[in-house]
Amino acid sequence: MPYDIIVLIKQIPDLELVKVDQTTGEPITEGVPFKLENLSKNSVEAAVRIKEKNGGKVSAILFGNERGTQVMKEAYAMGVDDGYLITGYTGNNPTLTAKVLAQKIKQLHYDLVVLGNQSADSMSGLLPGLVATELNVPLLPNVISIDTAEKIVKASTATEKEVIKLETSMPVVISVTQETNEPRFPPVLQIIKAGKKAINTEQSSIKLDSTFRTISRKAPKSDRKRLTFEDVDKGAQEVAKVLKEAM
Amino acid sequence: MKFLIFSDSEDSAKQVMTFLRGKGDFVLSSTERNESISKYGAQKVLLLEGKPDPKGIASILSDEFSNGGYDYILIASTVLGRDIASLFSGQKSLEVTPEIFDLKFNETTVITKRYGLGGKAVLEEESKSKVFTFLTGISEDVPGDGVSPKETRSIPEGAVKILEIEMKKEKEVNLEKANIIVAVGRGLGKKEGIQQIDPFVKAVKGEFAGSRPVCLDYHWLSEDRQVGYSGRTVKPKVYVALGISGQIQHIAGMRGSKVVVAVNKDKNAPIFQEADYGIVGDLYQVVPKIMSHL
Ligand SMILES: Cc1cc2nc3c(=O)[nH]c(=O)nc-3n(C[C@H](O)[C@H](O)[C@H](O)COP(=O)(O)OP(=O)(O)OC[C@H]3O[C@@H](n4cnc5c(N)ncnc54)[C@H](O)[C@@H]3O)c2cc1C
Ligand SMILES: Nc1ncnc2c1ncn2[C@@H]1O[C@H](COP(=O)(O)O)[C@@H](O)[C@H]1O
Repeated sequence: MPYDIIVLIKQIPDLELVKVDQTTGEPITEGVPFKLENLSKNSVEAAVRIKEKNGGKVSAILFGNERGTQVMKEAYAMGVDDGYLITGYTGNNPTLTAKVLAQKIKQLHYDLVVLGNQSADSMSGLLPGLVATELNVPLLPNVISIDTAEKIVKASTATEKEVIKLETSMPVVISVTQETNEPRFPPVLQIIKAGKKAINTEQSSIKLDSTFRTISRKAPKSDRKRLTFEDVDKGAQEVAKVLKEAM
Repeated sequence: MKFLIFSDSEDSAKQVMTFLRGKGDFVLSSTERNESISKYGAQKVLLLEGKPDPKGIASILSDEFSNGGYDYILIASTVLGRDIASLFSGQKSLEVTPEIFDLKFNETTVITKRYGLGGKAVLEEESKSKVFTFLTGISEDVPGDGVSPKETRSIPEGAVKILEIEMKKEKEVNLEKANIIVAVGRGLGKKEGIQQIDPFVKAVKGEFAGSRPVCLDYHWLSEDRQVGYSGRTVKPKVYVALGISGQIQHIAGMRGSKVVVAVNKDKNAPIFQEADYGIVGDLYQVVPKIMSHL
């Protein structure tokens, strides 16, 4: 049967392009382009696969800022049908993000809400439980596989020590792990089509006080020698020396 | 001060109890059955019995936190722990500081450290948080005096049915004690690569480790050999990274290594920025060359 699926996606700076300011020791994010966050990509892939198998519709919600349109287009190219960009994101505050996302989700009809179990930049891992609580629906956490039959969802979840088989009925919030799937690279035609598709944009109205104050934000120290050999023989000799000393 | 702890990992439980000793009273709650956790100075140990449903556990913690006069709750950042923390904080409308690796107390505030930007930044923050998830390695592990009394609580079942629990097989690997670690990444290309690299690992008396895809996705190595933010933190004398690109989440687990060696065929791979010695080349050609010089 067809499902209404909502996928929650996040925009993050391309972390590989983040350089460190040598005088302040702080990472520089200004000017770094945004991309679709890693686990959000797995979430989109999971949602689109459920749609491809059962029919239905995938809507994506992104709480970000104006620059998030690029990221939404990435999601469109992967197979998302409708996109909602909510602007007003000013930084990592999981409680606020969950409230903003839940408010929008409640305005839409849904059977499944899919999101990442832990995002690649802030890594808080809090959104799944917070969103499920706000919506008052069950959470299937950290899934490695998902199966649907009518209004029932079965999933396998992996903890450090065990694999657990779970079952519940819709509506449900599902958090996916990196191992769930290998996100697709959309074909060029899809990317061009996605570029022309409209995005529903609105400003967030929820305000929330936070007691957080940042004291410092520095890159971890790295004082490696960085001797890189393109001459394999020479490099191998050096490395063998280092290994022999440590053995 | 009084602390409530949840940890389903024995190691994390012991570390956080060592960390809190002398700072106040603490109660440990756990699904872990090992007797040794009761020797770390907890006022009591709450053994949680039943199926590990995060919502059920969150509701037990919620009652205990409200009725037991606690100031703070610390939850181990494990797969189960993170879900419990988010369900707990959702229920109680309390702000969480996630993934901390350091915590200090002021009069009315706390000062915490955690990673931001996937590990590219260390965030030092002040807040009034009462709820934390903490990373493994927050402290050493030193047993305390006496034996904590135990109580049991049963985990209530909720809307999510747990149909089956299958234990993954656990082999003892002691990456923490190895002098030399040879870590392989996706660049290995195939499972048989493990056998091809094995003579090298033996020759240097090292231990195998892997990046997340190698351990969790392809199962070329067992999961307990995964190094990184969501795996193990290691500090060997020499860390040899073969066919690992050097994503920040991997670096987070091996940053403490004394010397880092990297072999990668892409000379722009980020791992070379985090290495002392880098060799640009195909690992299957470079490794035999290194062996010939041993
Ligand atoms: C919340 C979160 C937590 C994470 N936790 C972890 C973690 O704990 N540990 C972890 O490792 N990752 C973790 N990751 C994943 C991480 O982001 C990367 O995806 C992963 O580390 C990449 O693994 P890799 O380097 O093996 O593969 P790739 O990035 O694919 O790199 C393979 C490398 O091999 C090189 N190569 C290919 N063939 C050869 C050859 N023949 N010879 C030499 N070199 C070759 C390539 O040039 C490339 O650089 C986490 C991600 C997230 C979002
Ligand atoms: N600002 C956001 N907008 C939409 N979805 C988000 C946002 N932040 C996080 N998510 C989703 O929640 C997952 C887990 O994020 P986190 O709890 O921050 O680690 C991500 O992988 C996304 O799927």
